[in-house]
Amino acid sequence: MSPDVAVQSAPWEALLVCAVLLFAPSLASQRATPAWQLLGLAVALVAALFASTATLAYAAVAAGALIHALGAWPRSRTGALFLALSAVASVSAAAAMAGDHLTAAFLLSGLAVAIRAGVMPFHVGVAAICERAPVVQTEQLASTIALVFVHLRFVDHHAAAVELAPTLVRYGAAACVAAALMTLVQRDLRGLYRGTTAMHGGMLLAGMGAASLGNFAAALLVAVAMGLALGGLGLIITSLENRVGPVVFAGPGGRARTFPRLAAAFALFGGAGVGLPGTAGFVADDLLLHTLWFESPTSTVTVILSSAMLAVATLASFSKVFLGRTTPSLAPDLHARERLVLMLLLLGLLVLGFVPGALLGPADAFLTNPPL
Amino acid sequence: MTAVQLALAAAVLAPLVAVAVMGLRVLLGDQPPSERETVRTIGAGLIASLSAALGVVGAWAGAWGPEVRGDVEFGEWLRIGDFFIPAVLLVDGISVTISVFAAALTALIARFSRTYLHKEPGFIRFFVLLGLFATGTQLVALAGALELFFAGWEIIGIASAFFIGFFHERGEPVRSSVRAFATYRLSDAGLLIATVTTFELLGSARFSAFERAGALPPWESTTIALLFLLSAMGKSAQLPFSGWLPRAMEGPTPSSALFYGAVSIHAGLFLMLRVWPVLEVSMVARAVGVVVGLSTALYAAAVVRVHTDAKGALAHATLAQVGLILAEICMGWTTLALVHLVCHAFLRLGQYLKAPNTIHDAHRLGHAHGRVSWLEHRAPAVAARLYAASLHRLRLDDRIDWAFSPVLRLAHRLDRLDQWWRRTLSVDGAST
Repeated sequence: MSPDVAVQSAPWEALLVCAVLLFAPSLASQRATPAWQLLGLAVALVAALFASTATLAYAAVAAGALIHALGAWPRSRTGALFLALSAVASVSAAAAMAGDHLTAAFLLSGLAVAIRAGVMPFHVGVAAICERAPVVQTEQLASTIALVFVHLRFVDHHAAAVELAPTLVRYGAAACVAAALMTLVQRDLRGLYRGTTAMHGGMLLAGMGAASLGNFAAALLVAVAMGLALGGLGLIITSLENRVGPVVFAGPGGRARTFPRLAAAFALFGGAGVGLPGTAGFVADDLLLHTLWFESPTSTVTVILSSAMLAVATLASFSKVFLGRTTPSLAPDLHARERLVLMLLLLGLLVLGFVPGALLGPADAFLTNPPL
Repeated sequence: MTAVQLALAAAVLAPLVAVAVMGLRVLLGDQPPSERETVRTIGAGLIASLSAALGVVGAWAGAWGPEVRGDVEFGEWLRIGDFFIPAVLLVDGISVTISVFAAALTALIARFSRTYLHKEPGFIRFFVLLGLFATGTQLVALAGALELFFAGWEIIGIASAFFIGFFHERGEPVRSSVRAFATYRLSDAGLLIATVTTFELLGSARFSAFERAGALPPWESTTIALLFLLSAMGKSAQLPFSGWLPRAMEGPTPSSALFYGAVSIHAGLFLMLRVWPVLEVSMVARAVGVVVGLSTALYAAAVVRVHTDAKGALAHATLAQVGLILAEICMGWTTLALVHLVCHAFLRLGQYLKAPNTIHDAHRLGHAHGRVSWLEHRAPAVAARLYAASLHRLRLDDRIDWAFSPVLRLAHRLDRLDQWWRRTLSVDGAST
């Protein structure tokens, strides 16, 4: 791919991933999101990814957050308020950029990402959405990727970002290990989803810290892999709970025979979230570790251990939900539309796992050349 | 693409393609595939992989032209600026031996299982996992760089965990599966840290770059070698990680034979052979390896004497030999170790597959009374203590649980703190 084509194609590729995530719940008939909301979110995504100025990009991201907040409000006011807070942080970042206060812009943009990605202790909103409306979480992951894209493009190139990088990396790693530890002792499926999201948020923040040294594409891949894996997991949890109600880890669930496709999908997306080889998660983790090493070997080791703990927690949860003496159920396994949507997300994970250059090349070319 | 590249790619990818075909069939089809269809699809992948592996052996031996030795490049897997990870496979004596050996045994087990698991509820799952395992072993055997090796290593671990929990309607296999996976993942962290460290210190994670390990400061090479050793200890169930191996016998007999008799249990030893240049320059790591290997051999030899189930006894007999092979490698007898490894794997595979018959024979022949041992004669109290310790397998699992209990306590405290924090900031009337 020629550099010119690469530079032009990066936002399109990011848009493709975001669009799949945004429309996935509606396509799977899990949620009747009003058409105006979906349209508004799509417009906000396009504006954020293709904007030529930070002001416009952050305004679009903030508008997206507010639309998500409206969607979340009926089920979780906490989630909605935190999304609105993220919108305020995004707008403030844009204002700080306009006023040439680059350190403030970096911190505010980082705060917006931390709230949206569910980094501890800013995870309260996302945790509430994960618990009460996992489908909204899947949709909002799409615009979180866009926010990361905007952050990497506009505020991560400045000296302030390089200066704050070690702090961000260490903070991300600490948040990562705390969340991973918590997932080990969760008592229900939504708790696992909440903890997994917070752990990935920490990884993302650490990746964004390391990005300022020229590893922009790596951070974007971490965000994309996180979005696809957690988005899929959110859909699966919703599908399962639509069939059997809230899932508590009170004993062996025994649902593998009743819902074999759901079980397989859970294993695949859960695995992708913890770096299953062949998926984008594996490449993202590997790249992240290499980039983190330059900033802090201790943080690298911390993230590796966190990932190991999350993997154990995921398998333990899988066994509690799906394995054990068969629990009969009249509910059907995944229906055709759900399977199609999960296949799409899985395809994204596999393509980026086997051919990561499809995203990394264009993203590297696009994001390492900041707009003048 | 040259013929060698094609053969190498086919050896690794053919089983994976078969798994993907089965996966699509299960996910999109209305009816699950039949046993015949499953065996044909996965079997085709395994046979293609074996044929390709034999082709690679031919190329290595120079049967089809000039000998092929060293790295075979497939371009770059990924690149960001100056940083790149190559897609490279390695053709040398060790890699082709292990590749053919693993492909042949996997194909053999597939044929055996076709009859053994006939009408078993998890028939399709077993074969899909077998295909996945074949991909993992080929990747481990042929990888030219640590990143690819790690990918294969992980696939083997995941397949192993799912095989242990194969009879998932019973509680014990499921618990054993999670425990084995936890041991794998925690010791795999050593391999991952070693991979990143090697890359940063040697400028590449290719195995061919390990020749430069001698130029590293001693503490750096020792750290890397110890990390590799840690990972090998987890995968090959060396002390103190031996507790998962007897639990792994919960899986079906063919998978036990393939994993814990033949291939997977020896993967850690293969890693040690692969990273030998780093190990060679670190006397500390080699000494630790010898101590660990011999201690494991002694421990397993003691436990095997008191074991009352056939597969458990076989597992510990395997462990004793694996410990000895690890000691051989760390003493520098790498060729002997490779020969020992392959012969041992074939022997154990046969023994595991015959285990059900052995039980039948034992019942038919009755139990023979054992002779009083030298130790029992000279020091009965010590012999009794040794017997009791062996019976409890040195309480390895309890000790590991004890060692990890502070981590779980910390996790519970963090969870409580998090609940408080979320309740404090929530306006939903939180249901935490």
